[in-house]
Parts: sequence; C-alpha cells; structure tokens
Amino acid sequence: MMFSIPSRTSKTLLSAQVALIERPTNAKIFLEGPAGTGKTTVGVERVLHLMALGIPADSILLLLPQRTLGAPYYQALRYPGVVAGGTVDVLTVGGLARRMVDLFWPLVAEQAGFGKPDQLPVFLTLETAQYYMARLVSPMLDQGYFESLTIDRNRLYSQILDNLNKAAVVGFPYTEIGKRLKAAWTGELSQARVYEDAQFFATRFRLYCLENNLLDFSLQIEVFLKHLWSMPLVHETLLESYRHLIFDNLEEDNPVAHDLLGEWLPEFESALLIYDQQGGYRSFLGADPHSAYTLKDDCSEHAVFSESLVNSPELQAFGSYLSRALGGQAEKPQLGFSTGDVLLFEPHRYHPEMLDWVVEQIAALVDNGTPPGEIVILAPYLGDALRFSLTNRLQAAGVPSRSHRPSRALREEPAAQCLLTLAMLAHPDWALVPARFDVAYAFIQAIAGLDLVRAQLLTEIVYRVKDSLPALTSFDRINPGMQERITYVFGGLYEELRAWLTAYREGPPEQLDYFFSRLFGEVLSQAGYGFHRDLHAAQVAANLVESARKFRWVAAVDDLEEPEALGREYIQMVQDGVVAAQYLSAWETYSEETIFLAPAYTFLMSNRPVDYQFWLDVGGRGWFERLYQPLTHPYVLSRTWPTDAVWTDADEVTYSQDTVHRLVLGLVRRCRRGIYLGLSELGEQGYEERGALLRAIDRVIRAVQTEV
Amino acid sequence: MMFELRPKQQEVLDYYQGYMGVSAVPGSGKTEILSRLAARIILRGDLEDEQEVLVVTLVNSAVDNFAIRVGEIIQQRGLLALSYRVRTLHGLAHDIVRERPAIAGLSDSFEIIDERVADQIREDSVAAWIRGHPYALEDYFDPQMEAGKRDWVRREQMPRLLNDLALSFIRYAKDNRLTPDLVRERLDSLPVPLPLAEIGCELYADYQRALAYRGAVDFDDLIRLALYTLEQDEDYLARLRWRWPYILEDEAQDSSQLQEQILRLLAGAAGNWVRVGDPNQAIFETFTTASPQFLLDFLEEADFKKEMPDSGRSTRSIIKLANHLIDWTNFEHPVESVRNALTKPYIQPVPPDDPQYNPDDGPAQVRLIHTKLTPAEEIKAVVDSLGSWLPENQDKTVAVLVPRNFRGFEVASELKQRQIEYIEILRSTANTRVAAGVLGNVVNYLADPQSSAKLSKVYQVWRRDNQGDSAENDRYQQVASLLRKCRYVEEYLSPQADRDWLTELDLQDMEIIDELAAFRKMMQRWQGTALLPIDQVILTLAQDLFTEPADLAIAHKLAVLLRRVSETRQDWRLPELTQELAVIARNERRFLGFSDEDTGFNPERHRGKVVVTTMHKAKGLEWDRVYLMSVNTYNFPSGYDEDTYIAERWFVRDKLNLEAEAMAQMDAALSQDDYAWYQEGLATHQARQDYSAERLRLLYVGITRAKSELIISWNTGRKGDQLPAVPFIALHSFWNGQHEDLEGSDE
Repeated sequence: MMFSIPSRTSKTLLSAQVALIERPTNAKIFLEGPAGTGKTTVGVERVLHLMALGIPADSILLLLPQRTLGAPYYQALRYPGVVAGGTVDVLTVGGLARRMVDLFWPLVAEQAGFGKPDQLPVFLTLETAQYYMARLVSPMLDQGYFESLTIDRNRLYSQILDNLNKAAVVGFPYTEIGKRLKAAWTGELSQARVYEDAQFFATRFRLYCLENNLLDFSLQIEVFLKHLWSMPLVHETLLESYRHLIFDNLEEDNPVAHDLLGEWLPEFESALLIYDQQGGYRSFLGADPHSAYTLKDDCSEHAVFSESLVNSPELQAFGSYLSRALGGQAEKPQLGFSTGDVLLFEPHRYHPEMLDWVVEQIAALVDNGTPPGEIVILAPYLGDALRFSLTNRLQAAGVPSRSHRPSRALREEPAAQCLLTLAMLAHPDWALVPARFDVAYAFIQAIAGLDLVRAQLLTEIVYRVKDSLPALTSFDRINPGMQERITYVFGGLYEELRAWLTAYREGPPEQLDYFFSRLFGEVLSQAGYGFHRDLHAAQVAANLVESARKFRWVAAVDDLEEPEALGREYIQMVQDGVVAAQYLSAWETYSEETIFLAPAYTFLMSNRPVDYQFWLDVGGRGWFERLYQPLTHPYVLSRTWPTDAVWTDADEVTYSQDTVHRLVLGLVRRCRRGIYLGLSELGEQGYEERGALLRAIDRVIRAVQTEV
Repeated sequence: MMFELRPKQQEVLDYYQGYMGVSAVPGSGKTEILSRLAARIILRGDLEDEQEVLVVTLVNSAVDNFAIRVGEIIQQRGLLALSYRVRTLHGLAHDIVRERPAIAGLSDSFEIIDERVADQIREDSVAAWIRGHPYALEDYFDPQMEAGKRDWVRREQMPRLLNDLALSFIRYAKDNRLTPDLVRERLDSLPVPLPLAEIGCELYADYQRALAYRGAVDFDDLIRLALYTLEQDEDYLARLRWRWPYILEDEAQDSSQLQEQILRLLAGAAGNWVRVGDPNQAIFETFTTASPQFLLDFLEEADFKKEMPDSGRSTRSIIKLANHLIDWTNFEHPVESVRNALTKPYIQPVPPDDPQYNPDDGPAQVRLIHTKLTPAEEIKAVVDSLGSWLPENQDKTVAVLVPRNFRGFEVASELKQRQIEYIEILRSTANTRVAAGVLGNVVNYLADPQSSAKLSKVYQVWRRDNQGDSAENDRYQQVASLLRKCRYVEEYLSPQADRDWLTELDLQDMEIIDELAAFRKMMQRWQGTALLPIDQVILTLAQDLFTEPADLAIAHKLAVLLRRVSETRQDWRLPELTQELAVIARNERRFLGFSDEDTGFNPERHRGKVVVTTMHKAKGLEWDRVYLMSVNTYNFPSGYDEDTYIAERWFVRDKLNLEAEAMAQMDAALSQDDYAWYQEGLATHQARQDYSAERLRLLYVGITRAKSELIISWNTGRKGDQLPAVPFIALHSFWNGQHEDLEGSDE
C-alpha cells in the first residue's frame, strides 16, 4: 500500500520501502528482488535518511559496480533541500583502489615490485594502456605471434589487456591466463597456440609496467587488494573514513569486489546491499551474481521485493510469456494480454523501412504527449551508420534525441582532423605527409566560408611535397587569375595561417598539446577562421589538447623524452585508432527532453525505467550472442568455471539462452507501457535475420493467439 | 496458375526421407519442383519450432526466387515464415562461421574481403615478388623470343600471368585445404625443385599474411573455414543437423568438393538430402574442384535415383539437336577422353496433353550458319537479322548469347548504333549496379569537385527518374549541357558577391534558372558531406537520392561496408573509395537479399527487345528466339593440340598452360605416390581436355535456351585463323542430313 508521506525526493513510498529506509543505524540489510520493484529507491532514501539523522555524509560510502548506475543517487544528492554536511563518496571498487594506491604509493611501491619506487606512479587509462601494449606487441607480430589469428590490431591489444583485468577481478594469477583458456579449448591444437602468445604478451606487459611504474586497471586492483588492503595503516584509514555502506547492483560487480566486501562488511556500522535477482549483465566485464549472493549471509537482515512498481499487468504477463518461451522457469501467467496493447510491431522487408516506421511511431507518441525522455530506442549494438540514420530521421521528424555512447573517435571529427593535418604541416621534420584531400579539408575547416572547390584549387597550388616533406607555399606567388578564382579574402586568411605556421616552425619545438592550444587560440578561433564561435569545434579542440597532454604525461615516463618524438608518436596513434580520445559525458546530462538511443546493455546500466521501449533488429543475433573474442573468454575466465572443463557448443547455447533471457526480462521490467518491435526480414547488412529473440516472440504471439 | 504435375515430377515430390538424387534436363521445371518439395515438407508439420528446411543453390538471384516461391506456397504464420532457409554456398558458409567464429580463429568482426581487394593484395604480392625475382620465369619463355620482346613481356605480361597463376594456385590450395605452411613443408622435403609451385607457394603465403593483417578472409576461406568448423566441433555440428533436418540442393552439378563435404556433414549418414542437377549443365569448373562427377556419383549412391527427362520448353527440333550433341559427344567426339562431357538422359518432349506443351515445331526454325564470317561480319549479320525479325515479333522474346563479355559489348554497341532496343546483362545485375552507380557518380564528383563534366553527370543522376514529357526532358538536357560548359564550377556552386555564374549566364527561361538554383542548393549540401566519414557521406546522399526501400537498404549496407574498408585502409580517400563502391556492390551480392528487382532476370518482361548476355549468364533462362554467336575453335576448342587455348600464353614455350602446370606441381609435391611424379606438359594437355569438355556443355546450355528458334553462327576470330568449332560442324552436318530440303536456306 502507498504511504501518503512524500519522500525527500517527493516520491511516494511503499510501506515496505519505508520500513527498510528507517531501520536503525546499525542494521545490515541484504535487499533483493527483480528490477522495477523499488530497491534503488530504498537505497537513495536510505542515504538521505542517514544524513537526515545527522550522520556525516563523508562517512557514508556508496559503492557501485559502474558509475552510470549511480544516476538516481546523483540526482537525489543534488536535490534541493538535501541535508548539507560534506559529500557522500560515490565510488567503484576500481576507483577506490586507484585512490588508495595513489595515496599510499610510497608504502607499497617497492613491496609490489615496482622498478622505480622513489618515483611517482603513472595510472594508465584504457587508451594509454593500449598504447603501451601496441608498443610491445606490434614490433613482434612479424615474428609469427598470433599468426593463425584473424583480428584487427586494436582488438588484439585490448583483449590481452582484458585478460589481465579478468585475472585481477576474478582473482587468479595472471600467469594462468593462457593455461585456463587452453584447457577450455576444444578445437585444433594450433589454435591453442594463440593463447600461449596471449599469455606471453600479458606477462611482458606486466613486467614492463612494473619496471616503469605504470599501473593499468589490473595492476591497480591487484596492488590494492594484495598489498594495501592488508596493511594496518590503510585498513584503519578506510575503517575510520567510512562507517556506513550502501552498495547498489551488487550483482554487477566482480568476485574480488565481493571478497573485499566479505572482509570489510563486519567493520561497518550499517550496510545496505542491493541485489537484482536477474541481473549480472556485465558478465563480460567479470560481473558475478553468484559471489555477490554469498554476501547475503554476512547481513543480519534480509528483505525481498517482488512486486513490480513499473510494469502494467499486461506487460508483466508478456514478460512471463516471453520468459517461458526463452526457456525460463516463470509460471504461466494468469492473465493473457492482447498484443496491440503492449506489443506493437509491423513486419518490413528492409532495414531502413523499419527505421522509418520506428521514427513515425515515436513522432506519434511525442505528438500525443509522451515526454521524449520516456522513450528509448534500443539495439544490441549501435553502429555508426545506424546511429547516424536514426538521429537524422528523428531530427527530420522534429524529435530531439541523444545517443548514449562516447563521442566519435577523434580522427573522425573534421575539426580534430584539421588540427592534426595542420600539426603535420607545422612539423615537416616528422615526415608525416598528409594526403592532398586532408589538406584541402583542413583548409575548409580552418577558413570560414571556404568551399570545397576553392579549397582544392588552393591545395593543388600551394601544397608541395618535396623530398618526402610537406610544405606550403605563399598565396602571393600564385598567378593573379588563380588568385582571383580563389578570392583575395580566402587568400588573405590562408596567408595569415601559413605565416603563423612558418613562425611556429622557426621557433623552438613545443609540446603538441601546447601547439594545439596556441593554434586554436591565436588563429582558428579568431574572426574569419572556421572555429570562431563554433562551440562544437572548440570542444573537439579542447578534447584533443587534453588527450595529447595526457598522452604526454604517460608516454614521457619512457624513453621518448623529446617533445618532437612524442608529438609524432601521438599523431600516429590517433591515426591508427589506438588513441581515440572518446569522451563520455552524455549520461551525465539525462534529460526529459530527448529520446535516448543506446545499446540495450547501456540502457540497463542507466538504472531507470521508461514508458516506451523500441527494440530494433529483433531478429538480430546480437540479442543473444556474446561478442566472440578469440583471445579471451568471459565465462572460461570466470570464477564459476572449473579450470579443467572444456567449453563446448552446449555451453555456448546454454549461455546464450541465459543471456537473452536475462537481457530481455531486464528490459521488460524497466518498461511501463509498451514495447515496439522493429522488424525487418533483412538486417542492416542485408542478411536474413531470424535469431532466438524473434523466434521466442513469435512463439509468444502464437501462444497468445491460440489461447484467445 | 494451376501447376499440373507430370508423373516424373510427382515421383520427386513423393520423397519422404533419405538421400535422393535427381537428374533433370533443361526445362524440366526442377526449381519449381524443389520449391514445392520444400513447401510440402514444411506443410507436413513434423518440423519443430527451431527447425528449417535448408535449400542450397548456386547464385543469389536464385535465393530470392526460391524464398518467394516457397513463401507463396506455405501459409505465413506468426511474425514471419521461419521454417526454411535459402542460401548460396557462400551464404551458408557465412552462417556457419558467423555463429561460432572462434572455432575458425576469427573474431566476431571478421571482414570478408571482396575480389577487388583480393586482386589488389595479389597484385602487390606479385609486384614485390617480381622485384626480387625478375628473371624467375625465364626458363618458361619461348626461347625464340627476341631480347627486346622478352623485356617487354617481363615488364608488361609477367605481372598479369603471375597474378592469374596466383589466383588459381591459391584457390586450388584452399579447395584442397592446404595452408601455405603445409605446401612449404612438402616443397622443402623434395629432392627436385618445382619452380612454379615454389612461386605459387610464396605468393600464397604473402597473400594470407596480408589477409591476416587486415583481420579478413576471402570467399574461398569462408567455405574452407565452414567445413573446418563443422569438423572441429561435433556438438555444433549436431545442433546444425538438428536445425536442418532436410537439405535440398539445386544446381548440384556445380558442387565443389568442399560444398559436397559440407552438405554431407550437415546431412549426416542417416539424414535427408536431396540433390537436383543436370550434369550436362556444369559450366563453372575450370581450375576449381567443382565437378559434375560428384552429382553422378551421388546418383549412384543415393537411396532414390530419379530422373526428370520431360521438358516442354523447346520445339522438338531443338530438343533433337541438343540430344544429338549428347550422342555425337558420347560416340563420335574425336578426342576420346572428352566423350563423357555430356551424359544421358536425353531430353524428352512432353505428351500433347501436358499444360506446358512444347512449342509448335518447325525444322526451319533451327539454323546453323556455316558461312565464313569475320567477327564484324558476324555481328552485322546477326543485327541485320534482328532488324528484320523484331518489327514483326514485338510480342516475342529474343536473346543474343555470346561466349565472352567483350563480344557482348560489341554486339550491344552495334545494336545501339542501329537504334535497336536492347537489354545488356553482362556484368552485375541491375539493382545494386544502379544504386551503387548513382552514389558512385556523386562521390566521384566530390573527389574531383572542379570538374564540370562530373558535376553535369551528378545532375543527370539526380534527375534520372524524372523522365517526364519531352519539354521537361529538353530542359534537363539543356541544364546538363549548361553545367558541362561551366568553366569555373566554384562560381556556380559557391558564388561570391561580385561573381555568380548563374546570374552572369543571363538566362531568360525561368524554369531553367530555378532548376539550376535548386540543384545548386542540393550540391552545396552534398559538398558539405565530403569532410564526414564515408558512411555518413553515403547515408546523407542516399536520403536525397533514393526513395525505393531496396535502394536505401543497399545504400545503408554500402555505407557500413565502406566504413569498414576505410578503417582498414586509412590511406584511402574518395577516389579509392569510389572505386571500391562499385566493386563492393558487385561482390556483396553473394550474400545480399537486396535483389528482388533483379531476382532472376525475367526475359518475359522484355518482349520485343534484344537481350544481350553470355551463355554462362543465360543459364536458367529461356527465349523464343536465340542467337548463339562465335561458335568457333577459339571459343569451343575440341581438345586438339592444334587448337588455340586462352590459358596458353603466346610467349610461353611449348604452349604450356602455366596455371595448370603450377597446380600439377603442387599435386606432385603433395603426392605420396613415388611413381606419380610431375611431368611437364601433361597438365596442359589435361587442361585442354577439361576445358573442351566444359565448353561442350556450355554449347549445350546455349542450345537449350531456345524455345522456338535457334540460330548458331561462327566467325574467323581476331586474326582470321579460326574455324567453325568441331561440334558445330557435327551439328551442322547432322541437321542438314536430316533436313536436306532445308540445305542452303540458312546461308
């Protein structure tokens, strides 16, 4: 039953929720239930309740497996009128690890085996870790490593890193990676050799990191858990700082996080652990619902929520039907449902027809008063072409949208390309020769109003490659007829830009990030130039500066001390896609005003229900198949997998059934009113699509129709 | 239309389970029967939810054809009719590998490179190899060749020759599932060097390295890896067997060794596998392991062996001629080893009460033109004949079938000159070609934006569908021509305050001014896309250029693929990507379902127009009147050593076919038999006979395309030294012997 007392965030709470929220300040509660039953609301209100009781905010630790899951908490903590008094620490275990390593570095560096304990540590991002991996692996590929493998290089690097991370979060020695993968391999032996290669480079990478004080994610976790956590000083610091724990979406975290909690839990005064019964979506990142569930025994109180506060009864019925059709154990629902009420679809032959239909339906919903923020478009994967096609169509229909994924890779931003090309022109001694097209495009970007034809004309005349070195010649030396065609206005602007680049070149070499800043500030942002008053271009430029700077900080620990060499290296890494410098920020700006467009898993990780969901490519394989990564394996490298067992086709089938089951039930439970199915016989790539999800829904519809 | 079954067709449809082989003659309705069989199995209702009837066929157009036919027959249920799957072999292999890529050592995003990229990789390998070994083929050159010519050959001919050699060698190695390592190992263990196999092996190794670097496989790898996957994982195989309890295979005569093995594994010994084909129509065998023998052996092995010999397609005369070709081949072919090129059953005309009764017979409607004609004269004669026949026969279908594409272009160009309406199906099929071509023209302009000619082309493409009244057409022509003459494109597209080409033109016709202004607006938008990633360029253009869902779908697919290409080839800019666009469109058709526009070309839609195509592409089609051209000793050699063979280069000594010799060397290297050592020239000799046999079947295919009228002619070739093909002479004398009264009327 509903209480009439509004919560601190003006939600209406159930009595069961209020009861938990108001438990004494020494309660340790394990709260479980499926999605949509009001568990996170309890978490949020419990934090606010503790604060209202006068508990200092900074003694409350809010742990999450992934920062995006914290959205409801951030929102609440920003809510006007929330009691002041310090800030609640919202952290992931990884974030905590890094903070501790940073803080206690002098204590641990030598013990953990770092080669330069008297120097500062360098924390690697995924990107910079990939950069170092590329430097180790790339020169050795010609020696026959990974020869039998068909994979692009950036994936190769990231999968070796992923293995190290898996070892760290599952808690087995990184030296066992190859052995475990090999043991599970059923195919031909030569294939198993790539696992040895993967082990070889994982080991090399680790040793290299230790030698140079580099800490990738795996090393941060290991140093924290193996060395710091057991140090009395560190232990005491943590225990003194944090007295109350809220841990939401426990099931999405990894085994070592759960181990840590198992040891730490008795030390807290109060704790609230929240567990989503059918979660565990992040298994490819090491999520382990099993180890999460063992923490239940360490809590003194258990609560179970089971009633959905989100679904309409029809949607609940659909969920049960679908669960059964996917091999789940759900009971046969009492209630039927009529497809038109909760499930809307229309078959199409081609993929773009399906997209048109989706956008039409969305426009109609919005016209009828549904806030765009209550609509999500979900696909198993959201490729660039699909995203572009959808946002374009939505724009044309006048519906604002935002896509949840990092911004485009830098090399794809025309503004970034412009800066990179100009950097090459400013540093001819790098011997990086930009393509003629790139130079023309850089001019178009750099000079406001310059068109494609004139940019090409200009490039053809002024851009020279002499002795494999790029150079720009002066506009004043062009014949007057051509000057007139290009126009003196554009010519003047070009000449200024060229003069700046020449002056720069004649000065002492500068760091690349500094070069970008200057070029932007002194030329491109000025009136007459392309970045003038262009906020997006300015943002891209800022990202590029930041990315280059971070790269310098990290890469400078090695032997590439010269700014020149570093700059060149950076440009190449961006061109190769090793450094993409994608900036994630979209999720922080959730808005009621825009349609949310995301991969299905990303939506699940945003931890909120919506009125309507559009599922695209229902027949697609992405809904049930994992990403195949030839060098790693999320299940084989998990804690539940017996180290000597062979991964068979039957396992594959079981896991994919389980995956699609969890995924779609997770989605249904986060939907209030209706699900639209995007159906096209031929998928985006023209292949016939008839995957497990489509078949299951087909069965549901036939079953319901038969019953009617 | 009600389809009445003939007794022999009924027998095939009565199939219940087990292995069944069906030998069907041209025009016996095998595709129809196979579709019906698929539908019948589904309607029997013993398939479970996840089970499908798997139909495997040769070409993409047949895929849709089948799907539509089966779909029409069975009732749609639920969301989609999910109980059958029609695939080409490549499509099937892709399905198998894509579901479990890890087994084959692939990542989930593995790329399939198309023939252009494959070609380029081979060219690079060959070029690099030649730099290191400029004189390696010296021993194989004609010793009589003078030094100057020899240099020229080394420079101009060797790359091409080695590229062809590498192509066949690699394909053959993959068909035989040999890795470069394995070939290398064997070669290293030999006491005597095998120079061509050495070359092939090195090029193969280099090629595979380049593929691995890109994270890619080629079409042949796909098939090889599919088989490998099935062999590696029994559980997966068992699951697929369960999923596809019935396998129906069309065009089984062109089955390759690997196709046969894949389907055999999928069917399982106790499974249900129906193979339908016509051994006499096997025309895709050269330098592959494909062979009609697989079908012939299967017919012997199968639980049930059926024949569909009845055909209502052609007149009795045409049937007689085709049957005689079988007889002559079997008993009189001058080269004994070619005599099994064609096999029985004979084609049987259907009984008079059959609804698809053979057209009315007239022996005069078969003509074999014995007159000696130069290539140009032959074209003129055919076009003359068409010119006088067409006006009287606007309701009929007619085709000119040639042995090679370039001959077709010559015919097409003559028809064009004579203003005779024609449809040319020589390269890829219509739909993707059109969509990719339209996009290609625009991207091509963006790559060279100063070109007024290309700009004018873009305009024409933009207005391609608006074929309105003649006044409108005139206006389009005028605009196109004005644009072509625009000297400085920028003054039109991006005018400055003092300079605007459109204003300066001083046109009076407001409609033309408006048209030019509208096009300018569109172009300004398109120019802006040049800076975007290629997928966004394509998608943006497509939105403005297409309205048809199929075109938009193709554009989307092209966008995705080009994006991938540009990721692996980061040095590629618009010019390279434009070229790529055309090639992708052609190659991706192997998987695409984007083809209902050109779903099996339908001759009936082109009555009163001339269809020009190759004999290969004519397979499966039929016309009222058919011209078979160029039936001379060059295009249809007979296995004689004096004949000219395309694969034998003039600058190579002893008329050796180096591709065939290279493969024979590979065979020798791998052979465990000490007595089967490589002997130079044998392979060349064998290749002549295989080629001659295949060309005989091609002739048979050509003849059986005709319903009522058939005209066969030959020419003396480019150098004037070719003779009528031996089978042509045989057919000519047979026909004239039978119909002496007709003698002379054909000249």
